[in-house]
Amino acid sequence: MAFIQAVLDGLMIGGVYAVISIGLTLVFGVMGIVNFAQAEFLTLGMFVAYFAWKFLGLDPLIGSFLSFVVIFGLGVVVQMTLIQRVLNAPPVAQIFVTVGLLIVIENLTLIVFGSDFHSVTTSYQTSTLRIGPLFIGIPYLAAFLMALLSAAALWLFTNKTWYGRAMRATAQDPMAANLMGINADRMRQIAFGLGVGMTAFGGAVILPYFTVHPTVGHQFVVLMFTVVVLGGLGSVAGAVVGGFAVGVIQSVSTLFFPIQLQNLVLFIVFLTVLAVRPTGLIGAAR
Amino acid sequence: MKWWITGAVVLVAAAIVPTFLDPTGYAIRVLTLALLFAALGQAWNIVGGLANQISLGHAAFFGLGAYTSTILLINFGLSPWIGMLAGAAIAAVAAYLLSFPTMKLRGHYFALATLAFSEVLRVIAGSWTSVTGGPVGLSVPFSPDSFWLLQFKSTMPYYYIMLGALVVISGVFVWIRHSSLGYRLRALKENPEAAEVVGVNTTQVKISAAVISAALTATLGTLYAQFTYFFDPEAVFGIIPISVRAAIIAILGGAGTVVGPIIGAFLIVPMEEMANVLLSSRGAGLSQLAFGVMLIAIILIEPRGILALITNGVSRLRRRKSS
Repeated sequence: MAFIQAVLDGLMIGGVYAVISIGLTLVFGVMGIVNFAQAEFLTLGMFVAYFAWKFLGLDPLIGSFLSFVVIFGLGVVVQMTLIQRVLNAPPVAQIFVTVGLLIVIENLTLIVFGSDFHSVTTSYQTSTLRIGPLFIGIPYLAAFLMALLSAAALWLFTNKTWYGRAMRATAQDPMAANLMGINADRMRQIAFGLGVGMTAFGGAVILPYFTVHPTVGHQFVVLMFTVVVLGGLGSVAGAVVGGFAVGVIQSVSTLFFPIQLQNLVLFIVFLTVLAVRPTGLIGAAR
Repeated sequence: MKWWITGAVVLVAAAIVPTFLDPTGYAIRVLTLALLFAALGQAWNIVGGLANQISLGHAAFFGLGAYTSTILLINFGLSPWIGMLAGAAIAAVAAYLLSFPTMKLRGHYFALATLAFSEVLRVIAGSWTSVTGGPVGLSVPFSPDSFWLLQFKSTMPYYYIMLGALVVISGVFVWIRHSSLGYRLRALKENPEAAEVVGVNTTQVKISAAVISAALTATLGTLYAQFTYFFDPEAVFGIIPISVRAAIIAILGGAGTVVGPIIGAFLIVPMEEMANVLLSSRGAGLSQLAFGVMLIAIILIEPRGILALITNGVSRLRRRKSS
């Protein structure tokens, strides 16, 4: 029974992992760039939702939409000013622009917000749902449902709207997309904005059970990379499956190993997947 | 060839400078750290500059060096000089083993894999408390002024040891660049497929560079531990404090050149130290912020580094004069 409970817990958190990692895979899919600063946008999303709760009294689940909008805008600006310039640069430039961005965002949040830990209080914080012998914390369930909702919205956007199709066309062949009258630069701005916005949204919905501080992103860096590499960098569907897989692996591994080694299991999975099949276990190879 | 005269003058100057400084003062401490990080950037340069394999995990080898020598010293009283060799050997083996999963990876994928490897070691160092001291870290047992135990009250001896390390690693770098390994690495960097076609065993070349670079990085980890007396997992296995810093130092100055990491380290280390002193508690964030801004700026302005920026500027001036 402990095993089933662990799987259930893993699926709940895995849904959130999927959403925060979709952004990473989306940016890679459209631009071929790994955004090492992705987790910093999760931190920023959490801060936006935290301040929305503190000053506007918004529940983080509602505030998450505000996080998405604000960070989407920031993402468009970052794409226009930084990422756009290294699109055709060698990998070393692409890697270190985003690493530099990571350092800048982390230390700006540290300077502006201080190094204190912040958390929100909600009415449902300690409630649990009981299904037979199994328990689900309400904040975990709520975050999971919000994650599913946003993943579904993204799917609708990319598959059912003109902008989504244009974005996918840009990912496939920017030159051909340009010839079809698609503004590829604009599509990349939308893709980067969406990518970091999704991650910020995922950060905001976990705020009811997670404290926020300037270096909270650290805990998610390798985790996000594991999710997307499992699912295949660039594959959105892969990121969803990868997210659930990572959540379950993490949760189940605590039954067998001490909690400090939780991430170790993930890193080993990560390195193994990279070694065996760098294009991902699930999803189409690029 | 006049380059060796310039080199000799700089080296003599570097050897004389400390005699004008307070041997236990702050200035010499900053210079010693700058020399250590210049050497670290140079070790990274062998993989990142010559082979164009962008490692974000050199902290793995740095930490292995620091932990190996310190654990041997604490538990067996073994001299850090021997511990340094042991650490280098372990790091070389680790780099060799890591090359299996990373052999075929390029660009972003290679960076990701090396980053994950150093994180694995950081987690192990943080949780294997009985050996590594866990998250608290390790202190080097204090027994000052023993060359055999590599400990001195004054900063002066450390300065010369770090200078020696920088000279040795720079020597290895130059030697590799002019050896047949260096030509193979250059072929690999320019075009891996073409290198393979003309008969370069690219796998073997990559592994050789990675193993040499890892062993050298580990010796610097030992020196760092002996110099600071105390370290925790984040200090030696950290992504930003070690892996990213090593890469930035090389890139800022000019990756692939022998003077690049030296320029980079002597810009970054004093700048960070100055910010820490002038701005106290908030300074840590500000100096790191400046560090990130400089990184982005150099990548956007001239990804080949300050050295290329200067040589470009000089040749442009000359052209203007001659015309």
